[in-house]
Formats: sequence, C-alpha cells, structure tokens
Amino acid sequence: MTEDGGKSGKPRVLTVGVDLGTSRSAVSASNGERHVIDSYVGWPVDMVARKVLKKKVLIGDDAVENRVMLDLRRPLEKGLIREGSERDAEAVQELLSHLLSLVKTDEDGDNQKVRAVVGVPAEALRVNKQQLRNAMEGLVDSLMIVSEPFAVAYGLEALLHALVVDIGAGTSDFCVMNGRYPTDDDQRTLTMAGDYIDEQLFDLVTSKHSEATFSRHMIREWKEQHSYVGEAKDPIVVSAPVQGKPTDFDITEEMKVACESLLPSVTETMIDLVARVEPEYQAKVRSNVILSGGSCLIRGMGQVLQEALKDVGGGQVRVVKDPVFVGSDGGLALAKDAPASDWEKLSS
Amino acid sequence: MASLSRIKRQIVRQAVDENLDTINGVLPGIRNDRSRSEITLLSVFFYVALPAAVFALSYILSPMAVGEATDSRLAATRAPVRRAEPVVAEAGVPAESTTTYASPRPLDPAVMPLTLRRVVLDPGHGGSNLGTVAPGGLPEKVITLDIADRLRQLLEDHGYDVVMTRETDESKSLKKRGDMANEAEGDIFLSIHVNWIELQEIRGIETFYLGPTDDPYVTELAATENQGSGYSLADFRGILERVYADVRQKESRELATAVQSALFDSLTKVNPTVRNRGVKSAPFGVLVRTEMPAILAEVSCLSNALEARLLAMPSYRQLLAEALFSGIDSYARELNQAYQIGG
Ligand SMILES: Nc1ncnc2c1ncn2[C@@H]1O[C@H](COP(=O)(O)OP(=O)(O)OP(=O)(O)O)[C@@H](O)[C@H]1O
Ligand SMILES: [Mg+2]
Ligand SMILES: [Zn+2]
Repeated sequence: MTEDGGKSGKPRVLTVGVDLGTSRSAVSASNGERHVIDSYVGWPVDMVARKVLKKKVLIGDDAVENRVMLDLRRPLEKGLIREGSERDAEAVQELLSHLLSLVKTDEDGDNQKVRAVVGVPAEALRVNKQQLRNAMEGLVDSLMIVSEPFAVAYGLEALLHALVVDIGAGTSDFCVMNGRYPTDDDQRTLTMAGDYIDEQLFDLVTSKHSEATFSRHMIREWKEQHSYVGEAKDPIVVSAPVQGKPTDFDITEEMKVACESLLPSVTETMIDLVARVEPEYQAKVRSNVILSGGSCLIRGMGQVLQEALKDVGGGQVRVVKDPVFVGSDGGLALAKDAPASDWEKLSS
Repeated sequence: MASLSRIKRQIVRQAVDENLDTINGVLPGIRNDRSRSEITLLSVFFYVALPAAVFALSYILSPMAVGEATDSRLAATRAPVRRAEPVVAEAGVPAESTTTYASPRPLDPAVMPLTLRRVVLDPGHGGSNLGTVAPGGLPEKVITLDIADRLRQLLEDHGYDVVMTRETDESKSLKKRGDMANEAEGDIFLSIHVNWIELQEIRGIETFYLGPTDDPYVTELAATENQGSGYSLADFRGILERVYADVRQKESRELATAVQSALFDSLTKVNPTVRNRGVKSAPFGVLVRTEMPAILAEVSCLSNALEARLLAMPSYRQLLAEALFSGIDSYARELNQAYQIGG
C-alpha cells in the first residue's frame, strides 16, 4: 500500500515520520503502521551479558528491563547529544533503525525506498544538526531533519499565527509559526519538563518522609496518574514501603508544587515569544496556542496557561488529543507533501 | 484553503533548503548557535569576575581623593570619543598609534594597597577552539587574546595586577579557567568574547553577570551550558542561591553596568548600528566556579560586517581594550567614592 506500489520493478516508497523524543520516540508510516517506544538504548556491559542477552544492543522496554546488564542510554537526554559522545550518536542510530524496522513490512523487503522526516528536540537541531545527520543518513534513502515542535505544527496545520508549546520529558520546546519555516528566533527550548517535575517531586517527597523508600520509577508513575496544577480535585494518597511495610502517604501538596514548578518559565517563555510577533498578529497567535507533549496531560495545564495569557490580552490554549503520535504524524504529513524531486536532492 | 496550501508549499521548500544547507556543509545555524552559547557563557563569567574585582578595588582605593576619582571618570568617558573619530573617518585605514588617545589618568600604584588590585583576564577560546570566525577568516580566539593583552597593558600601567587565564594560543577548559582565577586569588574576573549573530538581526554588545534571568533566551543558553557543566537545573538553583546570598551579585551588576556603558559609548561612535543589549544576569554554571565577582563581556559582533572589518584593525581593538579599562577603572573609583561617603 505504498505510494508507488504496484508498478513492477520500480522500488516501492515507504514514507515515514519519526519523533525522536528524549523519553519516548514514535514512528508513523505511510503504510499505516504506528509505533512508540521508550527512547532507551542499551549495550551489554561485558561478554557474559552479551551471551545471556544474545543481542548486541537492546532498545526500549527490552533495554529498561535488562538495565543491570547494560550500558543504558537516553541519547537525547536533555534535548542534546552529549558533546563528544560517540555512544550517544550510535544510540540515535540504533533507535532510528529500530523504529524503521517496526514499520517496514516483509513483503516489501529490500525493494523499498525509505524517505524519512525525523523530528528532534529543537535544541538538538540547533546544536547537533550535522552530527544527527551523519548518524542517521545511512539508515534511509532520503532524510529530512526538522525540529519536533515544527513537526507538531505542520501536522496540525497550525502554520500561520500559532504557537506550539511542547512539554515533553527532557525539554519544553516552543515554536511560533509565522507562515514560514521557523528560524532559531521563532523557537525556544527550556531543559525543564516532565523529568524536572519528577526530580522535584522526588526531592519533596523524600525530604518530607525520610523514613520511607521511594524509587524514581514510582514517583513518575504517581505523577502520570495524579499530576495537576491549580485546584486539587481529590487528595492524592499513594503507598510506599516503610521498613518493608506498605504505608500510605498524602502527596497532594507535593504534587502541586512539583507540577507548578514548570509554570513560571513556561508562561514567561510563551509570553515572550508572543511579544516578539508583529504587533498586529499577536492576538491571533495568543488565540492559537497549542499545547502538546506528554506533560500536557497534567490536569489543569491548559487552563493555567490560558489564564496567564489574560495578563497580556487573553487567548486560547488547546491541548492536543494524541500527544504520543502528533509529532510523528506531522513528520509523515510533511514527508508526503515534499515533492519527489526534493526527496531526490535529500538522498544520501 | 488556497493560501494554506501555498504556505505549506513554501514551508516544505524552506525545510528542504535548510536540510540541503546542512548536507552541503553550510552551517550557519551551528556556527551561530555555538558562538552564542559560548559568548553568553563567557559574558557571564566576565560579569561575575569583574564586579568582584571592582568591589575589591573599591576598598583598595579608599584612601584616594574624591577629586581624583572624578577626573579619572571624566577622562574615561572622554577617551573613547576622541579615539572613535579617527577610526570612523579613516574607515579601514588602521590608526596604529595609540599614543594620541586620551586615557584615564594613571593611578599612583603606591596609593593602592597590594591586596586589592588583582584583575583576572580570560581571553575567550584558544587552541583548537577558534570561537567564531569572521568572514575573512579571523578567528575570535585571536581577537580576544589581542584585546586582553592590550587591556593587561593598560591595567598594569595604572597599577593593577593582572593574571591571564591564557597568554598563548592554547585551549583551556572553562573549569580550568575558573580554577586558575581562584588560585590566583583575583579580585575580579573578566571574560572577553566576541559575538556572532545572524546578519539579519543586528545585535550589539551585552554584558553578563551570574544570577537568575527573566529572559527566556538567556535561560535557554544557560540551560545548554549548564548541561555541559554537569549541573542539573535543580542543582544549579541551589548553588545559585548560596552563591548570591551575599553582596557579590549587586557588585557584579554594577561592574557589568560600568563596563557595558563604557563599551557602548565607545562602539556607538564607530559603528552606529551597534545596539546596546544591556546588562543581564544569567544562571551559568561555569560562573559559579569563580569565587570572585565575575562578568562576561561580548565586546563586539563578528557577524556584523562593519564590526568584522573594524576588528581587523589594531586601533579598534585598542579602543575596545580602553573601553573595558575605563569601565573597570570607573567602577572601582565609584565604589571607592561610595565607600568614603557612605562609610
Ligand atoms: N498523564 C500524564 N501526566 C503528567 N505527565 C505525563 C503524563 N503522561 C506522560 N507524562 C510525562 O510526559 C513526559 C513524556 O512526554 P513526551 O513523550 O512528549 O516526551 P518526549 O517527546 O520523549 O520528550 P521531549 O519532548 O522532551 O523530547 C514524561 O515526563 C512523562 O512522565
Ligand atoms: Mg517530544
Ligand atoms: Zn566566544
């Protein structure tokens, strides 16, 4: 079911959009396949581990489950490839080739041309552009790399007078769309997002209840179940072991403080970017703010940001329905819209 | 709808072009980004160190007469004006001689207690780290070292003690630079950098000191730099609170203000398109390292065609050095005055 499918002898074209996130990566393909994995890549630490695991490299859940035997990495952890880290670049490669393997179908086999649009954190694109291209180029026939919030904007057709606020795990990316491909000045990245909330919550909870043991994993799960900003709905009571015995803790206030720790920087950045738009269009941009990324699921986030816009004339904040695939779907849409002649130029 | 598809076509074309630029090795984004980050980092460093030095100097200078301080400030503000004119008039003909320029009245070293006059100068980049590179090929590392050498001369002529984090074309980590400043027990720290900003949006000089920021642009840069430094944002906040629970932030800001205004007064005479981007604080992890007030000055902008041409001229680099000197010196004297009046 690929675009050029059916024409005998001619290679079929598989078009894909990839969202390489700091914590989750997703892929959407023109054959209808969609997959999401945790952005973890792990290499067995020694011969023994390699023998036990029977693999040279593990990706996603597989990697997380076997982490004790692995050199485990999140290649874009703070939105960037660590400077001089061969392993991070290699991990990007592994992640992408794994994502591609998930959407490639056997029937097409080798007679398949892959054209990929890969969305990466805006900061990584700014700083690691060449590195990213070098790492990914050989894996596909033609490659286009764009910033993740731009891919989101493209997918939602929010191309004119819109502001995308993508609050993920490692980074919060902001991108104003002015009807043109965004420049560095149209974008901002804060290295403050879901992971930062996790850290805050962990610190708050552990310092208040030093008698109990909390793991980072538990903290993140609690956050994903109960996160909120603004008014609490119900008390948040969770259970953690105290000397081995499950004990209940009320973390309602800590959850609020941790989640709200993002707000000052996020609102400030949002308002600042709007202020840089030409004055006659600012109101339009304010009324077209799109909140995406996993952390946009924090209850009340949209309302609070919308509330903050009141100080500068009011606006509207919409939360995307499917934050998991909105970026990869946007990449796919862009990949489909790019003419074949352009894809030829972008081939490696 | 017609307009949406037109916008889409245009955006797709721009996205493709941008990728083709990367393939073809045209890397404006990368160069631009790197230099911005570096500059900001350096700026911060400068601002923090410099304020500390000034602060220290003010105490050192306390025995000096108020009248002398006033003279010196006047001389300092006048000096750039006189210098700037020949540079502009000759547009590209370097005026090698600096002797005709007025400079602040020399201090008698005898009036400066020895413990309060050490300035650490940090010429940005070096060795394999070129910094930004002018269209003609002149790298930032050469410019910063040259300006630092000139500034060192001026400072020493006026009784200050100068320690340089590098004196040759060598690469040195930011951490190491901070350590050197601490070991040398500098009173202030000034990191010298030259900015690179996209041509379309002319930006001017700015000076940074360590502290929190309200500017998301700066936050972004700081966050990037702090990653490299191994601090998390959370760690950093804690450190920052401790570091600036004392008076240094105020002193750093005042020093930064003095340097920034001296720089701007000088440059604007020569290059009217230069913008005064002002004094800013930024939470840079690297600045936490220096134990003295420190600032980072972006003294010029290599991406501006006129600035790039001027920077190739020794007389212009001398102008920059003198502007930095008068910023430091006037700040030191101002503090001294305040100290005398306020007790
Ligand atoms: N229901 C939820 N409530 C709060 N946070 C959530 C929820 N679901 C997911 N998250 C958080 O969203 C983050 C993951 O979001 P996303 O998948 O957009 O990140 P990413 O794209 O990998 O990261 P980035 O955009 O920084 O590259 C994690 O921090 C996760 O804990
Ligand atoms: Mg994301
Ligand atoms: Zn620099």
